[in-house]
Formats: sequence, C-alpha cells, structure tokens
Amino acid sequence: MRLTQGGNRQLLLRTVIYLCGFLLFWEWLRPLGTLTDTGSLTVFIIYAGFCFFISLLNLRWWLSMLLKLAGLLFILDGLFITETFFSKGWFHLVYLHIQFNADMISTQYWTQITPLFRSFLFLILLWLMSYLMYYWFVISKRIFLFVLLTFSYLTVLDTFTTYEADVAIVRAFAVSLIALGISNFYKELGNESVTFSGLKRVSAWVLPLIGVILFSSIVGFAAPKLDPQWPDPVPYLTSTSKNAGFGGEGGSGVQKVGYGEDDSQLGGSFVQDNSLVFQASVEEKHYWRIETKDLYTGKGWEKSAEPDYSLTSNGGISITTFENTVETEKRKGLVTFESDAFFSKLVYPYGISQVDGEEDVNYLVDNTFGSIAVEAPEKQGIVDEYQVTYDSPSFSIDQLEAAGEEDPADIADRYLQLPDSLPSRVGNLASQVVDDEETRYDKVKAVEQYFNRNGFVYQTKDVAVPDRNQDYVDQFLFESKAGYCDNYSTSMVVMLRTLDIPARWVKGFTGGELSPQTEGGSEGMNVYKVTNSNAHSWVEVYFPDVGWVPFEPTQGFSNPIDFYQEADTTEGSTETDTDADTEEEERPGNQQEVGEEEDEAASASGGSANASGGWSWMAAAVAATIAGAAGLLFITRYRWLSVIMKKKFHKNKSAKTYQDAYLYLLKVLSHKGIKRKEGQTLREYAQVVDQRFESQDMIRLTHQYERMLYRNDIDSTQWGKVTELWENLIKRALS
Amino acid sequence: MTQQAFLYNSKISKVLNNIRKVIVGKDEPATLSLVALLAEGHVLLEDVPGVGKTMLVRTLAKSLDCDFKRIQFTPDLLPSDVTGVSIYNPKELEFEFRGGPILGNIVLADEINRTSPKTQSALLEGMEENSVTVDGNTIELKQPFFVMATQNPIEYEGTYPLPEAQLDRFLLKLKMGYPTAQEEMQMLQKTSKGHPIHDVEAVINKQELIAIQREVKEVYMDQNVQRYIIDIVTGTRAHHAAYLGVSPRGSIALMKAAKAFAYIHDRDYVLPDDVKYLAPFVLAHRIILTSEAKFEGMTAEGMVEELLEKASIPVRKEYS
Repeated sequence: MRLTQGGNRQLLLRTVIYLCGFLLFWEWLRPLGTLTDTGSLTVFIIYAGFCFFISLLNLRWWLSMLLKLAGLLFILDGLFITETFFSKGWFHLVYLHIQFNADMISTQYWTQITPLFRSFLFLILLWLMSYLMYYWFVISKRIFLFVLLTFSYLTVLDTFTTYEADVAIVRAFAVSLIALGISNFYKELGNESVTFSGLKRVSAWVLPLIGVILFSSIVGFAAPKLDPQWPDPVPYLTSTSKNAGFGGEGGSGVQKVGYGEDDSQLGGSFVQDNSLVFQASVEEKHYWRIETKDLYTGKGWEKSAEPDYSLTSNGGISITTFENTVETEKRKGLVTFESDAFFSKLVYPYGISQVDGEEDVNYLVDNTFGSIAVEAPEKQGIVDEYQVTYDSPSFSIDQLEAAGEEDPADIADRYLQLPDSLPSRVGNLASQVVDDEETRYDKVKAVEQYFNRNGFVYQTKDVAVPDRNQDYVDQFLFESKAGYCDNYSTSMVVMLRTLDIPARWVKGFTGGELSPQTEGGSEGMNVYKVTNSNAHSWVEVYFPDVGWVPFEPTQGFSNPIDFYQEADTTEGSTETDTDADTEEEERPGNQQEVGEEEDEAASASGGSANASGGWSWMAAAVAATIAGAAGLLFITRYRWLSVIMKKKFHKNKSAKTYQDAYLYLLKVLSHKGIKRKEGQTLREYAQVVDQRFESQDMIRLTHQYERMLYRNDIDSTQWGKVTELWENLIKRALS
Repeated sequence: MTQQAFLYNSKISKVLNNIRKVIVGKDEPATLSLVALLAEGHVLLEDVPGVGKTMLVRTLAKSLDCDFKRIQFTPDLLPSDVTGVSIYNPKELEFEFRGGPILGNIVLADEINRTSPKTQSALLEGMEENSVTVDGNTIELKQPFFVMATQNPIEYEGTYPLPEAQLDRFLLKLKMGYPTAQEEMQMLQKTSKGHPIHDVEAVINKQELIAIQREVKEVYMDQNVQRYIIDIVTGTRAHHAAYLGVSPRGSIALMKAAKAFAYIHDRDYVLPDDVKYLAPFVLAHRIILTSEAKFEGMTAEGMVEELLEKASIPVRKEYS
C-alpha cells in the first residue's frame, strides 16, 4: 500500500517536473512566430506536447517511436500533402520530395529545400528534444542547465531582436523555479538518508513551494525596479561594429549624445560623445539654434504641423524671432561642418539674416519652426561650410518688464498647448513659484531660477525615463529631480504654459569650446569647436512687441544672450545679467567647463575603448582565453590529475605511491560529496563508500592500505589487484 | 585473511561458539570478556541481576578447562574468606595454609560492592599484584588469573561503592543489557529442556591459554596507532568536564586490550578501529567527571564518544 502511494507520488512529481520542462520548451518556440516566417506554429507546439506526453507515458521504445512517427506523418500530411493518406499518389509525392531534397542537400542548395522537408526536420528536432528533455528533467534530474539556457535565449532575443520577452521571462522564472524546487524535493526523496515522515503528502510540500514562487513572482513583478545600471549595450555594439566595418559612420551613433531629430520620447541616460560636429569662427560665443518644437505630448516634443519649407536662392533668411525694436549688433561668422557629421540642417545664431554657402547649394527655410535645410543634390543634402551674417540681439530688461500680456491669437493658440494628461500639480507648482511676481518677465525669471535651488541635480547618467502613465515633466519636477538640458527646458516651457505664458522648446548647440589654434580665423575672430556633447535645448518665451526671448533654465549653463538695463537705472552695468549676479556672468564658461570635464570623465571609459580598441580587445580576448583555459583545467582537475596519478601508480610500486594514490582517492571522493569525517576510521569510511557504489572495492582496497599503514607491511603480490581496485574506484567517483 | 604467525587463535572462535550456545545474543560482552582474559586484565560487569552475568563467566570458565571459583560478597565477608587462612593442624603440629577462592584461575566476584572496603581491597590487591599476603607470607596466585566482578547499579543501600581510584584495576567495564524479544524467545526455547551449560566442553587448556596470552603481546601496534591512543587519553585529561582524566595506566590498558581485540579478529596488527571500538569500555570507568558536568547530565561514556569524534584517525605515514 505504501509502496504504491510512493509510486504515485513519484509519478506525480515526475509529471509536474516534465510539464515544467514542456512549458520552458514552449518559451523557446514562441519567438519563432514573431522572428521567423514559421507558419502553423500551433501545430508544432501541439506536436511537441504530444511527444512530451508520449515520453512521459514511458511506453516501450518501439511503441512510443511508432506513435511519434505517426503523429509526424499526420502533421505533414495535413499541412502539405493533398493526396489521400497512404494512397498510391501519397507515396509517390513523398518519394518525389525525398528525391528532390536529397539532390538539394547533396548539392548544398540549402535554400531550395521544400517546406515539407523543412517541417519534417523541425518535427524530428521536436521529437529529439522531447527525448532529451525527458532525459534531463526526469532521468538525470539536472534541469539547471536548461533553465540557464532558456534565460540566455530569452535575454539574447529580447536584446537583439524585436521579440519582447517581458512576459516570457516572468513565465520562465516562475516555471523554472517550480521545476527546480520540485526536482530538488524529488532528489531528496530518492536520497535514503532523508526521510519525510512528517510530509506524507506531496501537497504539504509542493503547494507551499508553488505559493511562495507565485508570491515572489508577483511581488517582483509589481515592485519598483531600478533603471538599468549599465547603458544599453546594443547601440554600443552596433556603433563599434559600424566603426570597425565602414570607418567613421558612427559619429552620430544612435543613442549617444548629440543632435537628433526625434524628441518624442525624452529621458534616459546617454553615452557621452566628444566627436566634433562643426567649427565656428565668430567674435563671441553664442548658442547655435537649429529649430523649435511646439507640441508637448507628455513624453517629449513633436511638431504640431509638417514643416513648410520655402526656397531661398539668394541666401537671404527670413527667420525672425524678435521684433525690430530690439537692439542688435551686426556680426559675421563662418561655420565649417566636419565631413563625417552628416548634418542636413543648418545651425545659426539669433538674428540671422543671410547665409552664404557654396554656389550650387540652395537653402530651404521653414519659418514656423525656424529650421533651415540644405538642398544640394550633389552633396546629398549634407551641410558643408557656410558664412552667416546676423544681427546679434541684446534685450532690454525695461522693455521686457514693460511688455504686456496681450499675445496674438496665433501665438497663444500654438504655444500654450498642453497635454490633457499633465498632472495638475505641475500647474500648482508653477503658480506657487511665481506667486510674488508681477510682470511676465519676472515670472519667467522666477521659473528659470527655480531649478537652481530646490535640489535639482544636473546629470547625464541614471536619468529616469517616464513610465507609460507618467508625465516627463512631472517625473522630473517631483520625483527624479535629476536630469539634463531636455528635462530643465521642457519643464520650464510646460510650467510657463500652465501660467498662460507662450513658450517653446528650442534645440541646437551651445557655443562650444575655444580652440587654442586661432590662426585660421580672420582678425578678431575666435574659433570654437562644437562637439556632439554640446547638443543642447533651451527655452524661448514670447513677449508682446519684443518677440521670442531665449532663457536658460539648465543648471550649470548660462544664457549667452545679452540683457541690459537702461543706463539711467543702474549706472555702469550696461551689459549685465538680469539677476545682477555678476559672478554668474563671469562664470558661465567655467561652469560649463566643469560640466564638460565631468562629461569627459564619463566618456573616458567609452572613449578609450574606442581609441585603443584593437589593443584592449586583443588583451581581453587573450585574458578571456587564459581564464577560460584555467577554468577548464580547474573544473576538470580531477580528471587529468587522475590520469597523472594512474601513470605514477603503474610505474612506481612503492608504499609512498600507494599512499599518495589512496589519499588522492579520498580527495576525489570527498570532492564528489562523500567526505570522511575527522574521527571516522578508514574502514568505516570504506563501508560508506561501498554502500554508495554498491560494491566491495573500497573495503578491499582499504584493507590493503591499512596493512601498509598500520602493519608497515606491503603485500607486493596484491599490487596488480590494488591498482585495478583503485582505477575502478576513481572511474566510479568521476562518473 | 592473511597468513598468521599465531598458533592458537583458532581456539578463540571455539570459545565464542561455546558462549553463543549458552547465552543468546551476547556476543559483545563475550568478546570483550575474552579481550580482558587475553590481555591479562579483569572485567567489571555492571548490570541488573538476571541478565546472564554469572552464566557468562561460568561458560567462559567451563570452556577453558580452568579452575573456577566464585565468591559471593556479603557485608560480613572477611578478607581471609577471600585470600584463605592458616589453620593449626593438630596432627602435624603446625599451621597449614588453606587457600581462599582467590587462588582459582577464573574468579567470579559476585556483587563486589556489597562487602566492606577491607575485603574488597584484598581482592583488588590480588588483581594488581598477582599475589596475596596471608600471615606475612606472600602467596603467588595461579596463572592464568582472571577476575570477573559484577555489581548491581540499582541498589545502593548497604553497599560500599568501589572507590574510583580502584576501578582502574579493571581493564574493562561492561554492561550486559537486556536481550531483544527475539533473543529472549530463543533463550526460552533453549532452556526448556535443561540448561545448555551442561553441554559445554572445555576447548582450551591452561597451557594453551598462557601461550595465547603470550602471542597477544606479539601483536604489532604501529606508532601512529599509539599516537592515536595518546590523542584520546590526553583528550580526557584536557576535557573541561573531567575532574580526573585517564591515567597512563589507562593508555597501557587500551593498548593491551586493542592487541587482544586484534588477535581475536585474527589480525596481527592493531587498527585504529580496534582502539576506537574499545575506548569507551577501557576508558570510561577511569574518568571522574566534575560535579557540574554530572549535573548537566554528562556521562564518562559520552565524553569518550565525543573525543573519539574529534580525535583524528592516522591516515598517512611520513615517507622520506
């Protein structure tokens, strides 16, 4: 009675383990639907399940083989063969298929193999897998390797292909833990030294196990997760491989910092990239504008309309961001793009009036978003070199203070847009910040300054990405409080819009770094190098009668545009920051340098990997090989040591060799889990070993060894036998 | 197992067979008694009445063709009742020595703790010195000389417990223990038609026994096994629960017993297994525990077991 109970229990456990195996195997099949053109995936899964089921029944080998073969033929027939099952035509068709595919294989035209034959091979594979899994899961009870393989498979697919393994990994997690837990229990049951007298019923053990696993899965699923601590390796790998392959296309690598067109999903960390984009030869450093965006989606920025480009053949640019009332100073500059920058839009300073490029280049201007594209068929729309003429503006604070609140209807329409999903606390915060301020200018300054206090941190790493139901600005203002220019500028625009102040988001580059070699520039000109890490975004706010005025909310950056107060108000400070923070005025360069130094430090690792790529790859490969070899030697140490020891044992018949060999055997056995306790005599230990191996070899060998050890007497006639016993035992211990 | 230099050890199994015929399921006390006999030591059997202590000794004595004497100790027994007394012979006009029971080869001292220390010490002196002094004359005891003393651990009233210092005159202290139900069943069947002890025949004579005792001394004990013994014995001295550890006499006793044990098992060298097996029987009664340890429920046997767990078995030799 008890025996059958035990048998039932074993069968149940085996079934559950094997079922888990099938579920894990299913996870291997699932991606085939999305990744390959495998049709009728369900049929294959059903066939796999069928094979697994047959294996579990433990039928006679020929019967299970027949059943599986029948299932295979049935599927092939149903999928591909229209002839009646086992009719003459059917056999003929099968014969033709076999002949054709045999030809194709022998001539190595792999692609020509017929779908029927491919399906046939795949079904055979499923069949073999069912057998293999039965062996792994039920007979040898070693399932960890397969679990590991499954996880690797899923993660690799998730990382490098379009397959989303989010749910699959959770499923695999739960299933594999259940399988591991039960198989461990199953093993313990087989172990005679352990008795589960208190656990007569399997459910007493298995149900809590499953409960714990499900609970932990749910907790793990629901718990908040850290963002990835390492940058996504895929862009890095792809960019490195591109560099390796084509040399220099990776300048604008996918997720590196830099200017990009798509801002619909802001957030996340980026890899620093100090590759040069363009050099600017200008009198004074200023920001380089590229375009603006007006539509805030809650996740990022988009354009509310398609850009409307109009051709300017003579180079005159009609982009006006401010009214004529603003004081300006006429300047000229020269912009030279790096040949591998592949930029299709112009960077230009505030107040641009004229662009002079090469003769055959035309410029397309979009006034709404302020972007200038290049039309140069021979150059594939890529910007090269051009001269800009511009009227650098200086804004009068008095004028700004005096500006009213009456915005033109089209401006208010377009630049007060906010998504419905924006949490109301953003608006509340904005009202709170500007509570004491009267004029629009003061309000804008208050919001701009808000980020300098209140615990905001500038960082490019570990920057949060908003969740599906989270607002980008809301997350930055209330949760993360850490980010870079996009976070600050977007937040400022959104906060201003909640206060009914029209504002927009501007993209471009900061002024760059002063190049030490200025010989190339004409007189009075400084050459600035602008790199990908100078890519920036800032804010423009509309003031009636003045136009769009740039503001800079990002910590560590300062507004390069001049603001001045009338001489009669504050004597001698014609050109001072509105905040009258002279220190800040002097510091902008420094501050930015500090920021850039940090950036450099951050990018140093990546940079060195690129620069000395050849070396470090070689070194890494050599180190990995050596480590691998050492690891392999270490793992297999008992095998090769046994061979050495065996040679020695055969050659040198002395008591010392005998002792070494015997002690080595003890070591191997102890490594295999049969450890001799300190107070255990050799004979007692030998009995334990023999019980495990179900033999008499150890006790016989031990008798000989005892004789030598405690009698000081070696029976040389027994030497051959001793060697044989020893070899048997080593073989058994290592198997 | 292997060829032996011993002439008589085949006789040992015959003795054991005899004992098996009479007493069911008591191989361990029988073997251990033989160990003591061969090692020229004595045995203290401690157990409740009726478990076969006396029967064991009687069978042993009968198998050995030796002079068997029995002393039933009582509180009024005098030393001279043990050693013997000189009696005036009016015919010869001189004192004539009449030997006491101690002058046998195998002596059963039943309930040794019931008599006065004076009488006890008369026996114990004989056991240690192999001679007794009566009226100023020293009388050599017969050889072989083997004492099996029994004592009852249950009754304490009217007893004179042996002083611990004297306990180590005994090579081994044994317990008989109750037989299992199956063994007891067998026993009933055997004794239903007359007691089997009457069928026991002597298989070893005195000379052979002496020769065996000599051969036992020849059993080889390697230095590393000796070191193992010393490890255990010194362990008892260093143990925190020991008021008094095992004396060097204990080490010698363990060595002798181990040799005899190896001999009985047809081996001419001693294994650590022998030492490990015998240690509780040889050492436990030589240890005096501190009263704290006793209070905590510790026993001398437990302490020896604990030390055996820890003492490292020699598994290698130094080869130059």
